[in-house]
Amino acid sequence: MKTPTVIIDGSSEGALQQPPLPVARQQLEMSGLADEGLREEGKPVIVADLYRAFKEEKRTLVDIAWEQQRLHESRRWSVMEMLAAIDVERVSQSDRLLVWNAGRAELTTKPGADRLARLSDTECRRWQEKNPVVASIMQACGTWSRYWNEEEAHHETSFNRLATLFAMDRVTDETFIEFRKVFPDDDMLRTLTLLAISEIVAAVNYANCARVIQEPGLKALFKQVGADEIQHMNYFIAFAKGLVDSAEYAPKEAFSVAHFFLRDGGEVYGSKRQHVEQRGTHVNWWDHLEYREGMYSPDAIDKKETLIFNALKRITGITVSSAEEVEDKWMELVGC
Amino acid sequence: MADTGELKAYIQKKFCENVGLPAEEVFGPDLTLAAIISRSERMTNSVDLMESFARTANALRKDHGIRIRLPALALDTPISKVLEVFLQEVERSQGRAA
Repeated sequence: MKTPTVIIDGSSEGALQQPPLPVARQQLEMSGLADEGLREEGKPVIVADLYRAFKEEKRTLVDIAWEQQRLHESRRWSVMEMLAAIDVERVSQSDRLLVWNAGRAELTTKPGADRLARLSDTECRRWQEKNPVVASIMQACGTWSRYWNEEEAHHETSFNRLATLFAMDRVTDETFIEFRKVFPDDDMLRTLTLLAISEIVAAVNYANCARVIQEPGLKALFKQVGADEIQHMNYFIAFAKGLVDSAEYAPKEAFSVAHFFLRDGGEVYGSKRQHVEQRGTHVNWWDHLEYREGMYSPDAIDKKETLIFNALKRITGITVSSAEEVEDKWMELVGC
Repeated sequence: MADTGELKAYIQKKFCENVGLPAEEVFGPDLTLAAIISRSERMTNSVDLMESFARTANALRKDHGIRIRLPALALDTPISKVLEVFLQEVERSQGRAA
């Protein structure tokens, strides 16, 4: 009997109300080739056990791309319809600042997705002879990056268009181009973990914004974007888990990045850190959020930490429950 | 128990082994962390640098029984400052143990 592939329910609405979703509580479905017909009739899903899917179930990139397409189509929404439902005049000054910040932050997602597409393909070709399963996981990741890019375009354009309708400070072309700088390349497991954590931070921020916003249309927009970010997090975790499961990538790389965010004065504190690194190479969105007087600040560090611990568990199988434990485990994995 | 001078030399040696650069190239001109990353062929970014600190701290624990917390420092910090922070941590750790 085949062991079932873990599949994450494609619907992520409400995920933030129950942050640490243990794998056992997520929807599990059989995904052997024998029940392919049944699977395609059901709800589209994120295939969370990619290594098993390629290695043992002999699923192909065409199978995985089809599932990605089904999920993408099931979740599509219209920026124009969503904006039309917002009563611009009723949005408070404080909530307008949340929109303005979100629009600037979202500008950095496109270079992230562009880089992921390029890096995934390079890594795919590097692994093709040595480990075809890893090559397939890389290619599945690069293939999915087109959906990520498109979905993030919804976020960027909706927030920036709204800021324009609010007659707020325009993002200058200079800033726009600056925020489009492409990140330098890094180890793929680190990259995927960083992206998963970045989605966690963004999703928690948006969920908290949605909670305080009064205008119903704007509240719905922040909820929708937050739900998208949770879906993206689930994808990044699935790709990262696939790399760890292949044994070609060391779990320490996932812990390295988590530690970087969670350490004292780490990245999870965003622009509120005492010292924010000035980088000539690229823009980290979380370094560039601006908090102005009267503006709600969606920190919720505890919730972000809990979701990061959960992500580490799903990627590496290792359980941690505090920033200190992340550091201890990371140092143990690093060795001398 | 090793004295401060010995521990300082040990930390310098271990850190340089981890980053793959000679001590005179790192501590002689008192390079910044950013400069060390750019000169080391083993490192591409801050995460690699943090791992070098972690390995150095692990070695300190293994060989001298001293457990320290890792510093979070900006990339324009000179390595002499990092060494100072490590030694302060050693003192703090030894003070706690005494």
